[in-house]
Amino acid sequence: SKWKESLIERTISRQNTNLMQLVYGNSALKSTTSIGEGQGSSEDEESEDDEFFKPKGESEKKSSEGLENGNVSAEDCSKLTYRVDLKNWKDEELIEGIRDRFVTGNWSK
Amino acid sequence: MVKTSYMRLKGSQHLRQRLLLSTLAATPILIDEIRPDDTWPGLRPHEISLLRLLEKISDDCVVEINETGTKLKYKPGVLMGGRYHVHDCGLSRSIGYFLEPLIVLGLFGKKPLSIRLKGITNDSKDPSVDTFRSTTLNILKRFGVPSEGLELKIESRGAPPQGGGEVILNVPMIPSSLAAVTWIDEGMVKRIRGVTFSTRVSSQFENTMIHAARGIFNRLLPDVHIFTDHKSGEQAGKSPGFGISLVAETTSGCFISTDTAVCYARGEDADDDDEKKELMPPEDIGEQAASVLLGEIEQGGVVDSTHQGLLFLLCALCPQDVSKVRVGKLSPYAIETLRHIRDFLGVKFVIKPDPTTETVILKCVGCGLKNLSRKLS
Repeated sequence: SKWKESLIERTISRQNTNLMQLVYGNSALKSTTSIGEGQGSSEDEESEDDEFFKPKGESEKKSSEGLENGNVSAEDCSKLTYRVDLKNWKDEELIEGIRDRFVTGNWSK
Repeated sequence: MVKTSYMRLKGSQHLRQRLLLSTLAATPILIDEIRPDDTWPGLRPHEISLLRLLEKISDDCVVEINETGTKLKYKPGVLMGGRYHVHDCGLSRSIGYFLEPLIVLGLFGKKPLSIRLKGITNDSKDPSVDTFRSTTLNILKRFGVPSEGLELKIESRGAPPQGGGEVILNVPMIPSSLAAVTWIDEGMVKRIRGVTFSTRVSSQFENTMIHAARGIFNRLLPDVHIFTDHKSGEQAGKSPGFGISLVAETTSGCFISTDTAVCYARGEDADDDDEKKELMPPEDIGEQAASVLLGEIEQGGVVDSTHQGLLFLLCALCPQDVSKVRVGKLSPYAIETLRHIRDFLGVKFVIKPDPTTETVILKCVGCGLKNLSRKLS
């Protein structure tokens, strides 16, 4: 519907401006890896005991606090395995839209 | 003896990047919580295979895995390279999975690398060997990798689930370091090339795929050539399959690629929880591949979404010089690569969107990695 359009546009523009933040996160917020780095080995051994009897949900919550939420066991693929944005390229309008990306397009631009 | 300090990481994700960067940056890593809650916990066969491969091409590297495979200790050694290596990649992931880290590691070896890889050459998950030939190797050349001795030979093809393909990869070592790039002009697409393959199915499948793909391209560009590569007998591997790899070449020397393959799903794949799909007819595959390629072209950028991660990695490995590249929408894999580059190499990119073309421009100063393993004479 129409009232959503401006919202979507605004979200897109906001995403663009925050690309640095999207990738690296807030500078104040430590990523999960840097937290892991900071732990000394002796300290880790102690905490291992503590974590032994931790409810399952709790540790999951902790790991999802960071940036990499949810994809801790994501598959290691450089290729996008599913394509949601697959368009129907038989459509004349779409074809015209990218014609200028080809040498057959309008060169005067 | 000095106690080595390990970089502590968690989870099974992005193991390849972590091992690759750990090796290049000579940072030992300790990964725990590798799929602890899965029915089959721990490392997967292809991940073990990758570790074995690393052991093969490097000297003095230490891999320790706990009993359940949920914890991994990796201490990188010196990359040796060398000839006459043979590695069985197994059947849980295709050769492309191994090639991606291997081509970068090969550059920083003591000697040029030559290795024979056995397994699956084409599947839908990883970039196919055809894409490596047409696109990935060309991206490396941009960064000053000598083209002499950089090649991938397809001896025989193998589709999942049984594989049976064989390729020979040759990677030269770089003289001292890569060359920084300013690569922001994606140019215009001047021609589209491609290759189809078929193993243990009728070669007519290939013509159908090509016909369907051309049907979409011909309205945009006359210069479309898609070659066929029908394999039979020994060279066809052990399983039936067919697929297509397409690449668009631009006036500024960029290569935008996509590929896909159709085959029967791997039977004993433990983490394959989605339903077994009906095999797609060749006509649909041709059309789909062409559509994906046009989608990649529409996005803009000097590489396609699959190669973004490699591109950033190469930029970060450059000498201390500014690299500037343009890509389309950042893929999740590329974002994760950027994070790992920061963690291991300390290189942070400046990422700026370019609203007029809806692309993203990334700038970084390389970490100045030199080929230290190279023999000094």
